Amino acid sequence: MKDRDILLRMEGISKSFPGVKALSDFSMDVYKGEVLSLMGGNGAGKSTLMKILSGAYRKDSGTIVFDGVTTEIGNPRVAEDLGISIIYQELNLLPSLTVAENIYIGRHPKTKTGNVAWRKMNRMAQEHLDALGIDLKAEDPVGTLSIARQQMVEIVKAVSRDSKLVIMDEPTSSLTDKEIKVLFQIIRTLKKKGVSIIFITHRLDEIFEISDRVTIMRDGQFVDTKDIKDITKAELITKMIGREMSKQFPERDVEIGEELLRVEDLSDGVKVSDISFTLHKGEVLGFAGLVGSGRTETMHTIFGSRKRKKGRVYLHGKQIDTSTPKKSIRNGIGLLTENRKTEGLVLPISVRENVVMVALDKVLSGGNIDRRKETKYSNDYVDALNIKTPSIEQKVMYLSGGNQQKVVLSKWLMSDSEVIIMDEPTRGIDVGAKKEIYDIINDMASQGKGIIVVSSESEEVMGICDRIIVMCEGRITGELKKEEFSQERIAALSVNETGTNRGITL
Amino acid sequence: MKDNKATKLIRTVWGKLGVWLIAILLFAVMSAASDKFLTASNLINVVRQVAVTGIVALGATFVVTSGEIDLSQGGVVCLAGCFCAHLMMNVGMNPWIASIITILLSVVAFIFLGSIVAYLDVPSFIATLGFNYVLSGLVLLLTNSKAITGLPESFTKIARGYIFNDSIPIVAIILLVLYAFGAYVQRYRVFGRNVAIVGENRQAAQLSGINVRLIKVLAFAVGGACSALAGIVLAARLGSGQPSSGSDSSLMALAAVYVGGASKSSVINTLAGTLIIGMINNGLNLIGLNAAFKEIILGTIIVAAVILDIVRSKRAESHIVK
Repeated sequence: MKDRDILLRMEGISKSFPGVKALSDFSMDVYKGEVLSLMGGNGAGKSTLMKILSGAYRKDSGTIVFDGVTTEIGNPRVAEDLGISIIYQELNLLPSLTVAENIYIGRHPKTKTGNVAWRKMNRMAQEHLDALGIDLKAEDPVGTLSIARQQMVEIVKAVSRDSKLVIMDEPTSSLTDKEIKVLFQIIRTLKKKGVSIIFITHRLDEIFEISDRVTIMRDGQFVDTKDIKDITKAELITKMIGREMSKQFPERDVEIGEELLRVEDLSDGVKVSDISFTLHKGEVLGFAGLVGSGRTETMHTIFGSRKRKKGRVYLHGKQIDTSTPKKSIRNGIGLLTENRKTEGLVLPISVRENVVMVALDKVLSGGNIDRRKETKYSNDYVDALNIKTPSIEQKVMYLSGGNQQKVVLSKWLMSDSEVIIMDEPTRGIDVGAKKEIYDIINDMASQGKGIIVVSSESEEVMGICDRIIVMCEGRITGELKKEEFSQERIAALSVNETGTNRGITL
Repeated sequence: MKDNKATKLIRTVWGKLGVWLIAILLFAVMSAASDKFLTASNLINVVRQVAVTGIVALGATFVVTSGEIDLSQGGVVCLAGCFCAHLMMNVGMNPWIASIITILLSVVAFIFLGSIVAYLDVPSFIATLGFNYVLSGLVLLLTNSKAITGLPESFTKIARGYIFNDSIPIVAIILLVLYAFGAYVQRYRVFGRNVAIVGENRQAAQLSGINVRLIKVLAFAVGGACSALAGIVLAARLGSGQPSSGSDSSLMALAAVYVGGASKSSVINTLAGTLIIGMINNGLNLIGLNAAFKEIILGTIIVAAVILDIVRSKRAESHIVK
């Protein structure tokens, strides 16, 4: 393909955020009229890359050459003018407006007197729809359309702007098989018109079906680019992970005891399907999988903060009611959510008030909140978990991420939870604090608690867990014992073939 | 930033006293500006003037702290006053019983209103706005748009009477006792703590096992009780149930809450807010300013208070040591 024209060339792109290097010295080319798949695990830097191309982020260094011209994409407007369109997972349409209005939003054709030229706009929109073979009326309100059709409106919007490059971020994640076929048909039509497409997906089958080439990235770095006919699924997975484990995880020598928690046939009817598993005393059970695989939803369904369609939860062999968070907490289950700032903490109030929030009844004296008990408990946890704060009266919003997470942990420790579910417990936390969190998890397990850790970093799950369950598209696709742990197996179980629930065996 | 001793002192005092510092400064300025301000009779007058707003504002504090807003309190003040007068004059009830029934009915109505907000997720701004119209209509139906007059002296003394050798107005005692109780609930009761948590972060509250909806309903119930009581005090002061008075107290109360502490409202701060508004009203009266100016100044102060609060929290953030 060397003879083909290059549309986009990125060279030596780097981007850092405080404490994280999201992209380092990343380079890639996109040819005119090709579909290039971008593949990488969670946190590989795909979205950072996309945001740089869309002008949402500014790169720290490196050059971008678009259509032969070196450009600085300083803001989204520039990207638009260049002809770069992005179709995000979350669609950005206005539901009460029509298809045509959404397509021409902000740039309505006007009549001589400056009014919106409605008929002209509808006609132009319809022409674009027909040209791509999309069975939609320009006058239809967008709100009544299915997600798949709304996505098509986004694509038409991009095409109508004469986009030369369309980036699609996991466009198939909420589509049915049939809708995916239609989408692929549209993508092929775009290709014929000379439009280039960067296609981001976690689904291997789709990569092999639609793309011309695939670029693999990992940890913000370029790994390889291959013609799709020159690579196998297994090779792709190896390239996606391939890295050595570091030694930052504590030794696990906890005796695993009797069954503590058992979940049977849990479904929410949407993102959680037929989940069954057990958790033992002293055990750290990992839930691995890709972002969006339904792990978070599963945990919320167990905890009662998400509506359940069916399923039973047993603690010590007895069925318990966990239909609301309050009931789950009373039964001894705690949930440390993935969004610590919005769901775990009350930021504008003190460390003290946050720590005692769940187990307020422990600090009561004669029905009143006893400030001395409160102070004692909070100080104890600040000491025990080494929370760095000037005082327990400090507002939680002023603590660092790691210390905030320890405050959330204190909440669940103080409420004497037997089962502690932790969803991405180390997200956004620096390396040192991560280690401390791992040690706390270990301590809790050695006290006989059962710990569930949901994590998208396979290294982390392998490093701290006794057993790993892998999920994909709302289902459990496999369970790995300690001796079976490998990044390849986790990755293979995480990336399922479209529409089925079979894991890929390597 | 380099701090010299003076700014440090100001910061410490401001940190501890907050809006009370403004109340105290205002008190000093008023005393200096007018020789009529710092007299026993005038100060008693201030307290009597702010009593109704103050009681409503106490209830509003709980509603606002829970993350909602109540625009129907004025309607309740008006209806409660008229209804209580109706029970006494047309039904012949004892003032005590009439008052208790009025308050209970108001609490029931607010549990209903609070449930609409909390369980049906209707924005409180809209729900209470609509409810306020319903209440205004009920007032007109009940009173036929005429005042219910001639309330017995045993009733009117709530607002007009004095105790301790005729030195302290009863209404001042009522106000202080209510605020003391409110501050106690906020600081030492589980309900008070949970109201604040729900208001600051509803999701975190729910995931921590707090019954968010119930807390909101109860906050509205507190607001209903306070509004009804304020209406009774107002009727006692006027000696009649007036179908037109008290209906502006929702906004006055919210003004007191926001002047007291826009981002973090507390019962104690609301009391300061109430007194500040009362003193400004009184002071401008003493100077003999046109009533139109009073409203303009009051409005300006409310907005200024919120701006000040935002500036203060931004500065606090910029002081964090990373």
